[in-house]
Amino acid sequence: MKQVGSRGIFSIGSRLQRLKRDSNRWSIFTLAIILFIALPIISIAIKLCDGPGETWGHVVDHLLLDYIGNSLFLVFFCGILVLLLGVSSAWFVARYEFPFRKQMEWLLILPLAIPSYIVAYTYAGIFDYGGTLDLILRVLDLEFIRVDIMNKTGLAFILGISLFPYVYLSARAFFINQANNLLEASTMLGVGEVKTFFKLMLPLARPAIIAGLILVLMEVLNDYGAAKYYGVNTFTTGIFRSWFSLEEPDTAVYLSALLIVIVFALILFEKWQRRNVEVSSSKSNNHRIHRKRGSKGMQVSILCFVLIPVALGFFIPVLQLIYWTFLTAGKVFDMDFIMLSVQSFGIAIISALITVFFAVLLIYFAKWSMLSFFKNIAKMGILGYAIPGAVIAIGVMIPTLAFDKWLIHFLDDWFNIHTGLLINGTLVALVYAYSVRFLAVAYNPIESTSLKVHSTIPDSSKVLGVGNLKTFFKIEFPLIKAGIFSALILVFIDVLKELPLTLILKPFHINTMAVKAYQYASDEMVMEAAIPSLFIIFTAAIPVIFLNKLLIRK
Amino acid sequence: MLKINSLSKSFDRGKTFALKDVSFELEKANVCAIVGESGSGKTTLVRLISGLERPDHGSIELDGKTISSLRKIIPPEKRKIGLVFQEYALFPHLTILENILYGVSKQKNKKERAKEVLELVGLTSLEKRYPHQLSGGQQQRVALARALAPNPSLLILDEPFSNLDAMLRMQLRNQVFEIIKKTGVTALFVTHDTQDALSVADEILILQEGEVIQKDGAANLYTKPNSVYVASLFGNTIQLTNTLQEAFQCPLNIDCCHAIRNENFNINTECEYISHATVIKKTFLGETVQLLLKLDNGEQLSVVTKEKNVAERIRIGFDSKDVLEF
Repeated sequence: MKQVGSRGIFSIGSRLQRLKRDSNRWSIFTLAIILFIALPIISIAIKLCDGPGETWGHVVDHLLLDYIGNSLFLVFFCGILVLLLGVSSAWFVARYEFPFRKQMEWLLILPLAIPSYIVAYTYAGIFDYGGTLDLILRVLDLEFIRVDIMNKTGLAFILGISLFPYVYLSARAFFINQANNLLEASTMLGVGEVKTFFKLMLPLARPAIIAGLILVLMEVLNDYGAAKYYGVNTFTTGIFRSWFSLEEPDTAVYLSALLIVIVFALILFEKWQRRNVEVSSSKSNNHRIHRKRGSKGMQVSILCFVLIPVALGFFIPVLQLIYWTFLTAGKVFDMDFIMLSVQSFGIAIISALITVFFAVLLIYFAKWSMLSFFKNIAKMGILGYAIPGAVIAIGVMIPTLAFDKWLIHFLDDWFNIHTGLLINGTLVALVYAYSVRFLAVAYNPIESTSLKVHSTIPDSSKVLGVGNLKTFFKIEFPLIKAGIFSALILVFIDVLKELPLTLILKPFHINTMAVKAYQYASDEMVMEAAIPSLFIIFTAAIPVIFLNKLLIRK
Repeated sequence: MLKINSLSKSFDRGKTFALKDVSFELEKANVCAIVGESGSGKTTLVRLISGLERPDHGSIELDGKTISSLRKIIPPEKRKIGLVFQEYALFPHLTILENILYGVSKQKNKKERAKEVLELVGLTSLEKRYPHQLSGGQQQRVALARALAPNPSLLILDEPFSNLDAMLRMQLRNQVFEIIKKTGVTALFVTHDTQDALSVADEILILQEGEVIQKDGAANLYTKPNSVYVASLFGNTIQLTNTLQEAFQCPLNIDCCHAIRNENFNINTECEYISHATVIKKTFLGETVQLLLKLDNGEQLSVVTKEKNVAERIRIGFDSKDVLEF
């Protein structure tokens, strides 16, 4: 009898009955937010059905191979460079004691504070005729060596030195927190350091390293400013070209769709390579890694070695910018610049608040929905971070334009009011796009702090007769404040640095620091780009240092 | 009164059941202990009754009102059930007083109620402190006070003493159940410790792999367990196999399964069924000694006795009234 009973419990009929019983308003709200976040991607998918534009054939015949070839080239060589720089510096910082090791720990993250297009401008300036290198060599009375950096090899180098910290961070976290037991076992077996590293540590750290690498590759595919400045045709510059120069939105949509496919392939690959991670990083209570102290000579050579990526990715670009600032400060720093900083900070603050708001809603609505599969659905909302900014911008363009057109007709027909575009080309569309792109940036720190609050805490509030919303404000919010705060800061910085999406969607009369720097650089006034660039870098650097502490503890 | 009717819950769409077809009733003002090993579905049962989890099948009635069925679910905040969690789950950013008053609705006289409950658990002097400033036992009593403050129709305690050390545990167990008896609230009490259950519960419900296998009063469960499993939960039990029966020359009904509790073996005294045995090994356990015996028909048997000085050859036996039959 029990057999029959238990089969009946999972018949379609009673499943539907339970679905009806357990779906509540929170389930509907969760779905609504997901749809809102996914709208740009859905729009691109729908727009694909319209067929390719007139120039698509031309793009396929003459440009697509170039786009694919260049993007692959960048992915490959930049990938190798970030692995070399990131993994080696992570290993040295984690495993060895040397002078200034603590400082190196966070200095190695600082390149993330500089957007890669700004690194690109500075290196172009250094290697230019009459550039910094030329000046220095002339002072030393040496022959000028001409290095042409403004090509795809140079671009791979630039992206590599500015993005390697992603790999450094994930590899270091593994070495510090999860490697010690095996490392000691290997030492006890009498295996040397070099063999231990290549035979044991590298294979074990692989999933962590690749996870960092995938983040780098997404940033490579997202880059617009550096590629544009160096004259390299990539998918992103292709999307810009077909949208602005060729005025061929359908082609831009097709390119975007292709790029989305590539990005999702990367994500799937990352998930696949992680499938056995649970087994390899066993739950054993690993002590934090025990550091080795080598001879004085070895310590100094390690210090010099890890200084290379820091110098390339941070000190050299910043010094170049400071030098340029001295040359141009009088010209750039005026009332307009103060207005610009107010606008830029204002947009970043508003976007951070709204993005964090959506992230909190998504996390908690999915919790409050009694349908367990909603938690997985909510996770889909954070995929926006993987999608290049230019693609999201196109995806936001399509539905907002359509909605505006409808609204204009509607207002005209029914109320006889004549208006222009109300959403497209305004801050609303821009902030919307930011929150789609950076939802994950807000979601992750909030989720991880909310997981630290044991589920019995909100549960006991509910059992004591207090509903979901009130429980959130009285119990959960005070306990996850720190996570919300770091989410706000992280989104704020990302918005401040963001370029391609902002270029496409920003209102005509409004500028951000990033856009201003880009405009100076494209108007052959790259020196003037220094002040807005330094502004971005110093704003971003403070929390990067602060973040280092968080990341080690994790 | 709590009435549970054929409650089922699966976390993997019916492949395995955390709880399978569980039905029982609990009279008002009674204390019922739910006993089971970890993974037997105790916590799932608690979460279904309190509404934190949703059942796949079955219904729950509290004081004549259906609070959970296939059609309708009353959310946890409207069930008037008090729940004391294993890890207490006190709100870390609120004082003891704020914690206790959290679930008390506005219209009532809050201050008076707080005083009442604080007196009940004996923590009046600590009301301004924060949870982390309290000892484990004090936190436990705050959790109890917080659950009792809104006058719940049913109080559930989920493994309330498992985070405490043995000494404190006994002391607190008696305190807590004195308080519960004083308030006269109907209580469900989840534990894996049969000592806890035997000492305080009016009734005990045994769960095994998500199914109820026996529900009875404490004394009955001990003397008339309905399976070897239940018998062994309440103390060391030895199954009387055919060869053992031969050794003791006790003819028992072959259609049934028989067992005897370790404590009912008598050494060197007159009994109905007797066998001679050689002591192979003595293990000193403190208060008792464990003996590994070789009976005369070659069968080995391990018993625990308080007798410290036993000879190498002994006589061992038991009486028919102590034989458990299933």
